[in-house]
Amino acid sequence: MELTLNVRRGGTRRSADDSHQAYHVDVEPETSVFEALVKVREEQDGTLAFRGNCGVGFCGDCTMLVNGRQEVVCLMPVGKAQKDDEIKIDPIPYAPTVKDVMYDAKRFIWDKVNSFSPGVVFNGVEQVTEEELSPVRRAMRCTMCGICDQGCTVIDVNLDFKGPAALNKVFRYVFDPRDGRAKERVVEAGETNGVWDCVHCWEASDHCPFDIDPTHRIMELRDRSVRLGVKSGTGNRQAARHYNAFERSVEHHGWLDERNVAIQSYGGLIRGGLKMMPTGLAALRRGKANLLPHRKRPGASAIKALFARYREVTRTER
Amino acid sequence: MNRFAFYPGCVSKGSCPELYESVEQVMDLLDIEVEELTDVGCSGAGVLTTEVSDPINARTLAKAEQMGLALMTICSTCQGVIGAAALRLQDPEYRAFINKEYLAAEGLEYKGTTEVKHFLWVLVEDVGLDELKALVRRPLEGMGFSPFYGCYLRRPADVVGRRERRTYIEKITEVLGGTVVNISGKGKCCGFPSLTINEPNALAMTAKHTGEAKDNGADAMVTPCPLCHLELDGEQTQAAAAARRTIEMPILHLPQMVGLALGLDPKGLGLGRHFVSTAKIVAQLEPVEAAVSAT
Repeated sequence: MELTLNVRRGGTRRSADDSHQAYHVDVEPETSVFEALVKVREEQDGTLAFRGNCGVGFCGDCTMLVNGRQEVVCLMPVGKAQKDDEIKIDPIPYAPTVKDVMYDAKRFIWDKVNSFSPGVVFNGVEQVTEEELSPVRRAMRCTMCGICDQGCTVIDVNLDFKGPAALNKVFRYVFDPRDGRAKERVVEAGETNGVWDCVHCWEASDHCPFDIDPTHRIMELRDRSVRLGVKSGTGNRQAARHYNAFERSVEHHGWLDERNVAIQSYGGLIRGGLKMMPTGLAALRRGKANLLPHRKRPGASAIKALFARYREVTRTER
Repeated sequence: MNRFAFYPGCVSKGSCPELYESVEQVMDLLDIEVEELTDVGCSGAGVLTTEVSDPINARTLAKAEQMGLALMTICSTCQGVIGAAALRLQDPEYRAFINKEYLAAEGLEYKGTTEVKHFLWVLVEDVGLDELKALVRRPLEGMGFSPFYGCYLRRPADVVGRRERRTYIEKITEVLGGTVVNISGKGKCCGFPSLTINEPNALAMTAKHTGEAKDNGADAMVTPCPLCHLELDGEQTQAAAAARRTIEMPILHLPQMVGLALGLDPKGLGLGRHFVSTAKIVAQLEPVEAAVSAT
C-alpha cells in the first residue's frame, strides 16, 4: 500500500505547531511503522532521527506517538496505524526531545531506574518454585517502553516522578525470593517522587501493552513496604505521618478523623494546625467542619480487633 | 422500589455533609430505600495496606450479605476499594482465609455474594434514565457541566465492570436537561491522594482539570466522589494561585445536580457549604412552580 508518513522534524525545542515532513512509501500493510521509518531513513533521508533497536517488541526503544497515541512502533503494522493512508508521527511528550522524534532515553527512564539499587543481592535461598517466581516473571516482561507514562496522572504534572516502569523494576527485586535487600529497596522507593507519590489512578494498568498491570505492582510494593515497617523514605517523613495518622484513626474510631489526619500529616498539632488553620476556619464558617471531638463508630471495637489480628497474622515477616 | 445496604463512607459524614444531605433527599424522590450500615469501618481508601483493609471490607460485605441487599456507595474511592476487595474475595481460598482468620471471631462469614454499586450506577441501572427524566421538575437548560468521575469509577476495568459506566455522568446530565462540557481529564486523578504527600503535584492536577472546565465554558463540574470534591473545591483557590490564574469553578456533588433538576431547594442541597461559590449556578436556575419537599 502507498502511504504518507508525516514525521515531526526539528530539534530539542517543541511547540504546538511543530513542522512535519511528508515521506511517501510503498509497503505491505503488515509492515511495521518502525520498518517503514527505517526504509525512509535508508532510501530517502539519512538525517531522520528516531530511536529503535530490536524491531520485535523486546527492547521498548521505538516508542513514539502515532496519530497522537503512544505506541511501540515495531509492533504496530502500518495498515492498522494509518488513517486515510496517512500516519502522523511525533516524539513522546514525557521526555526531552533530542531531534525529530528521538527522545532522551536517559532522562526518560534510565536516570529513574538508576536511582534504585540494581541486581539481586543473594540471600542464600537457592531453590524457588515457579509459583513464587511468577509475579517476578510478570514484572520482568517490562520493556521500559514507557507507554504507562501516557496515562500516568503524576508524570503529567511532574516529569521527575519515577513512574510505573521504574517502580515496577523495584517490585521485580523486592518480590524476588532470592533477594536480601527488600527493606533497603522499599526505603529507596519511598523517597519523594517514588512509590508514595503514586495516586493509584490505575491509568498505568490501563495503558501497559504487556499486561504487567503496573498500578497493582505499585500497590503491592506499598503493601510489602508497610509489612516491612517502612511507610516513607528518609527524606519525606510526611508520607509515613499520613499513613500512621490514617491507620490510628481507623483503628481507634473505626472511621476517618479527617481533621486530625490532615493536621498530623502536616507535622503535628503546631505545624499542621497552623497549616490547616485557614482551611479549617473556612470549613467551620460553611458548616463543613465542627469543633466536636471525633466520635467512635458503633463497630469501632470490632474494627480494632481486626487490626490486632492483622498484626498477629503478619508479625512473622516484620 | 430499590433497596440497598447503604455505605455512606467517612467523608459524607465528615467534611462533605452536603453530600449526605443531598443524597438522602434525592433517594427519597427516586424511591430508593436504604438501610444504613452504621457499625462498619472505613474502606482504607487505598491508603491502608490491603492486608488490613480486606478484612475490614470483608466484614462490611458480610453484613450487607446478611441483610440480603446489594451495597450502595456514594464515593468513587469507597466503591473502588470495596469493589476490588469483593473481587479478590471471589477467590474461595482467599475468602476462606479471611473468614477463618478475621471474621469468625465475630461469628461472621462472607460467602462472596454481595454486589457493590455506586449511586451513579444505581441511578442508571436501577432507577433508569427514563424514570429519572420523568421526575425532572426544573430542567438544567442552558447550563454546562463538566463530568469528573474519580479514578475508581473508571478503572481498573475488572472492578468497574460494564464499560458503559464510564459515560453515565454525561447521560444523566443530558437527561436532566443540562449540556455536557467535555474535558480531557474527566477520568484522571483530582490530586487528593497526593495532597498531604506531594502538595505541588496535587495542586497542579486540580488547576489543570478545573482550568480546563473553565476554558471549555462549563458553568460547573459534577463529581460522584467526595474526595474529588474536597480537592477540586477545597483546594481550588490554592491551585489557581499556584497556576497563577483565576478559575472559580463551582464543583457539584452528583446528587446535588440531580436534586436541582428534581426541583429541590439549592440551600437544602447544601450548595452554600462549598468553598467555591455556587451563587452563579443558583442564579441560573428557573423557579419551580411548586416547591418540592423531599420530606
